[in-house]
Amino acid sequence: MRIHHARSGDLDWINQLQHTTFHGYVHSVFDRTINVECSENGELYTLACQHLDNAPNTMLIDMDRFSELAIKVNDKVYADQRIVHIGDQLLIVMDQVTTWECQLPFFPNDIGSVINHLAFTKKIIEQRGKCGGMKPDLTTSSIFEQETSRLLSERSLMLQEALLQHRVSDALRHAAGLIGLGPGLTPSGDDFLVGLLSTFHMENSLGRIYLGFGEKIVDVARTLTNEISYTALKQASKGRVRESITRLLHSITCGKQEELILSLDKVLNIGSSSGTDIVYGIVCGLEINIKAGGTVCPQKL
Amino acid sequence: MSTKVVIKQSTYFDSVSLMSLSTKANQIEGVEQAVIAMGTEMNKEVLRNVGLLTPELEEAKTSDLMIVVKAATDELCESAFLKIEELFKNKGVAKGTSDIKYPTIDSAAKSIPEANLAVISVNGAYAAREARKALDNDLHVMLFSDNVSIEDEIALKQYAHEKGLLVMGPDCGTAIIGNVALCFGNSVRRGNIGIVGASGTGSQEVSVRIHDFGGGITQLIGTGGRDLSEQVGGIMMLDGMKALDEDEATKVIVLISKPPAPSVEKKVLDQIKLCKKPVVVYFIGGTEESVVAAGGHFAKTSKEAALKAVVLAGADESTINKRALNIPLVEEIRAKLTPEQKYIRGLFCGGTLCDEAMYIAMDKFDNVYSNIQKNPDYKLKDLHVSKEHTFLDLGDDDFTNGKPHPMIDPSTRIARFLQEAKDPEVGVIVMDFILGFGSHEDPVGVMLPAIIEAKELAAKEGRHLEILGYVLGTDLDSPKIEDQVNKLMEAGVTIASSSTNAGLLSREFVVKGA
Amino acid sequence: MSKINELFNSKLNVINVGIEFFKDDILKQNATATHLEWKPPGGGKPELITALDKLEDPALLEKIEAANKLAVERIVNSQPILIGFDQAINCVPGMTKTTILHSGPPITWDRMNGAMRGAVTGAIVFEGLAKNLEEAAKVAASGKITFAPCHEHNCVGSMAGVTSASMFMHIVENRTYGNIAYTNLSEQMSKILRMGANDETVIARLNWMRDVLGPMLRDAMKLSNGIDLRLMLAQALHMGDECHNRNNAGTSLLIQALTPFILETNFTTEEKREVFDFVASSDYFSGPTWMALCKCALDAAHGIENSTIVTTMARNGVEFGIRVSGIPGNTWFTGPAQKVIGPMFAGYKPEDSGLDIGDSAITETYGIGGFAMAAAPAIVALVGGTVEEALGFSTKMKEITTTENPNVTIPLLNFSGIATGIDVRNVIQTGILPVINTAIAHKEPGIGMIGAGITYPPTEAFEKALLALSDKIS
Repeated sequence: MRIHHARSGDLDWINQLQHTTFHGYVHSVFDRTINVECSENGELYTLACQHLDNAPNTMLIDMDRFSELAIKVNDKVYADQRIVHIGDQLLIVMDQVTTWECQLPFFPNDIGSVINHLAFTKKIIEQRGKCGGMKPDLTTSSIFEQETSRLLSERSLMLQEALLQHRVSDALRHAAGLIGLGPGLTPSGDDFLVGLLSTFHMENSLGRIYLGFGEKIVDVARTLTNEISYTALKQASKGRVRESITRLLHSITCGKQEELILSLDKVLNIGSSSGTDIVYGIVCGLEINIKAGGTVCPQKL
Repeated sequence: MSTKVVIKQSTYFDSVSLMSLSTKANQIEGVEQAVIAMGTEMNKEVLRNVGLLTPELEEAKTSDLMIVVKAATDELCESAFLKIEELFKNKGVAKGTSDIKYPTIDSAAKSIPEANLAVISVNGAYAAREARKALDNDLHVMLFSDNVSIEDEIALKQYAHEKGLLVMGPDCGTAIIGNVALCFGNSVRRGNIGIVGASGTGSQEVSVRIHDFGGGITQLIGTGGRDLSEQVGGIMMLDGMKALDEDEATKVIVLISKPPAPSVEKKVLDQIKLCKKPVVVYFIGGTEESVVAAGGHFAKTSKEAALKAVVLAGADESTINKRALNIPLVEEIRAKLTPEQKYIRGLFCGGTLCDEAMYIAMDKFDNVYSNIQKNPDYKLKDLHVSKEHTFLDLGDDDFTNGKPHPMIDPSTRIARFLQEAKDPEVGVIVMDFILGFGSHEDPVGVMLPAIIEAKELAAKEGRHLEILGYVLGTDLDSPKIEDQVNKLMEAGVTIASSSTNAGLLSREFVVKGA
Repeated sequence: MSKINELFNSKLNVINVGIEFFKDDILKQNATATHLEWKPPGGGKPELITALDKLEDPALLEKIEAANKLAVERIVNSQPILIGFDQAINCVPGMTKTTILHSGPPITWDRMNGAMRGAVTGAIVFEGLAKNLEEAAKVAASGKITFAPCHEHNCVGSMAGVTSASMFMHIVENRTYGNIAYTNLSEQMSKILRMGANDETVIARLNWMRDVLGPMLRDAMKLSNGIDLRLMLAQALHMGDECHNRNNAGTSLLIQALTPFILETNFTTEEKREVFDFVASSDYFSGPTWMALCKCALDAAHGIENSTIVTTMARNGVEFGIRVSGIPGNTWFTGPAQKVIGPMFAGYKPEDSGLDIGDSAITETYGIGGFAMAAAPAIVALVGGTVEEALGFSTKMKEITTTENPNVTIPLLNFSGIATGIDVRNVIQTGILPVINTAIAHKEPGIGMIGAGITYPPTEAFEKALLALSDKIS
């Protein structure tokens, strides 16, 4: 049995843990994260190592990796106010935990710098983005990868078009075609949508007209992708995304270029191609924000 | 054609592992297509589109991991699957052992009886001591550190020789032992050619050329640059030759070095006479007679060394693409250059690559300057200003002093490149881009903006700026060599297919009256 | 087959020192690699590396290894037996009525810190050499008092270590080698002389200890054939003590062994009741006992020519001093005493702490205390760590020690023996310092214990020792 301390955690979850008892079991184990399924509501929660960023339904623990522990899928998880018990392997004490709340930035009225930053972001993806998902790997000989990339780019373009023209049912159809599409634990299409949805939730954002669209995507997604990826999508549809994404949105909308480079780096390093896929979604969403903004008066919606 | 499918139920691996497993699975010999992906509807749709979907896969759930392998025969499919399972397992093992922290070589060696090699890259002031500790514990040593005194080097190598151990280095940048590249090295095929090299990038180059010619490597033993000096006496090259001569898997031995001290050359040649196996000798700028007299095979260039080795190792010479020099290209470039654009400027990360190009230029020109010229008359006086034909080894202490090697940090070369590009007397700028373990993750990418800028500037001034690039790497290296080459070509860079060709092309571009 | 050909034919297993990504690249190629948590030996100081190099000369190395083998054998084989209690004046060699022993390396009155001054003046009053504390301070400064380290009189003393003529001492005999070690009695509580407290209650307790507790223990032990302390220590470790900061089990075991004899002494039931209440008032009662055991074993290993084994670690609140077996007698190698980091009692702040003090680091020198933290998971909170860290400390200490003591084992570490025989060379080579569990005394006189925690010796002490050894061994 090892004892560790929680460093920080999602405000809502910490509140929930500190005021009620929590029962669940281990859903999946990775080197640096453990997912826990709550028996009451079936939602997934994540315990992550300290160097990862804060995220919805996530608590960061003062550990560097979990793989050295013998935590197994289906191990019981139990929490009472102060301590989370993971099977007979790990105790997490929450006495010094700080809370984190996902806060998306305010979408500025002056979109000049957003446009510049978007152009810069695209340039960086071109240079440093990881291939294999939204960014096609032109050198691959795998026909699976080639076809995946083709579908990803085709459908994401059609989705963008449909959204721009406010054809919500078409948009939904194209979005559904992205869910579960692509390599990796969180398929590239899902990551793209997470990025896209996050942009609709910014305060003053012209994309807020699409909030309903986000909720509908989640309904469709349930059966189209795995639970881990679904959880991220569901949270994103509520405007809840991991800290590195909020920082990136902040840098794009109101930061300096140096900040942008740093925050882009953070996101691009998520997973294998996941980070790149997310940034593609963010770029797509912000472009929609900017372009769609001219055609509607958001205050009236 | 055979397709085999396995579905691992409710199995989650993180994305990085999945991607790397997928990449490795596709590299398994005999595999036509390998897919490792989560069993979502969309991924199944992709499989359907490309004709890989089977009824079994239709049943996969979103939480399942699908593994699909397509190969020529059932047997190949089966064996590929075994290897994939191995990959999944290895993932776990490697981590466990790397987690324990030991403070000293003594304690690590005591706790890991299977350990057989120490890679030492600490500050030179402490390196000899650590190397000795490793030898005390019966570990072979790869000594990456430089600034180790020659006295220490001799003592270490004598001690190692007595114990029958290897000391590769000091200042040894590359080695391939049991198909594992150490420090700076390239992914090359396993084969039947053994290399002993006293020059790092030279050894990398020969190993890569051998791979390109369809051959493969058993072992690549680095000795460090001073091994063939009078004082050290070639202890490790001789020991390495003996070991390769006794190694069953090795059929041909290749030696790479700058020309040795005369007494050491004699020892090496005597050893060649004793070798049961053919020995190819590439002593950069060396001469043929003595090598041939000793029964060795002389190579004038790195490319020739690789080619001879591959042929001696049993390849049919007529089937090898020798990547002959592109003569029409030479004509075309010459036509673009004005009479005053008559000099070569070489900006190299790899010391041996610089050396080779310089020697090739010296065959036709006298006025060849460098920071590594042996002849003091042609040693560059002011390192910051090039003179006539200039070849710079930017990895030499002259330039690295306190900074990372240009293979890792390209800033020195970028600045120098922009300086050379402005010089109206420059006919061609030649540069190497080294891929593989240890190197920059995108050496071409970091250079591109400067290349584009320089090309634009030259165009404005109405002159042609010829840039010749050589990418040292194999199709198995990361980043992909094709990507790197394509990026250069898109930016208007001429590509050489080998270090030797880079030297030859750059020379031929500016030779007058040919 | 030559070793080089063996390398060609076996699976590569690399130890990587220096640039870490070389290890990652090797792992990527499905070979095994272990990256060292390496530091330049001797902190990179050339003179220390030269000294290490010199001591590695094969001829010297052989001598050193042989000497160290002998030294640790003597530590491991020592069988310290508690044979009695008596007043210092009656048993401690060189003790006089005006001698005051203190902890750590030698120190003069003018350099003593608050806690030690408090203890010294208290002891002077207790011995009747002054009427009050003010007068005691004058006496202390007058030169009439002979100050000397406990260690130089076969004694150890916890915290200030102040030991005067009429205090009762443990008498511990080394049944294997015959030497004897002494230490005074635990005062229990936190407001006590050894922590620098010195008001009437403290003096009153000392008087009672001199008049009732001491004589009772002395008479009791006269009825006993001696108590095997090493056996008892081994039991205490299995019961969750590390015997420096946690003594719950050891104290129970000790009083259990003493009780039958105490009952047979000619004291009144009331007095016996007082003694049992006193013992029950603090788990620390056996703390000094283990210190005497350790001192007894380590003295047997001191003065072996060519040995680089540490036989003493002790602090006087100003300096931390060590002694090394190969440099016989009372040669101390010192550096500044360090801060102790750990939880404080309510109402005190870190800036109230005095620096590391006491001879109790003799327990770590022997291999218990901080070295045996894995045996005592219950106190990890006391020293402000985690169970995992505790296990880590005990394992890490094996990097700087020479052997394991099979007589004293740690269940959680698969019953491996405690790390024994700190080697100066290893400390300098690895940069790993011995870890010490200890109490924190207030920096001002008269207050006492205010917390507990972890500390380390100053590197200088080991550096000086290494240089001296390299000069001496040839």
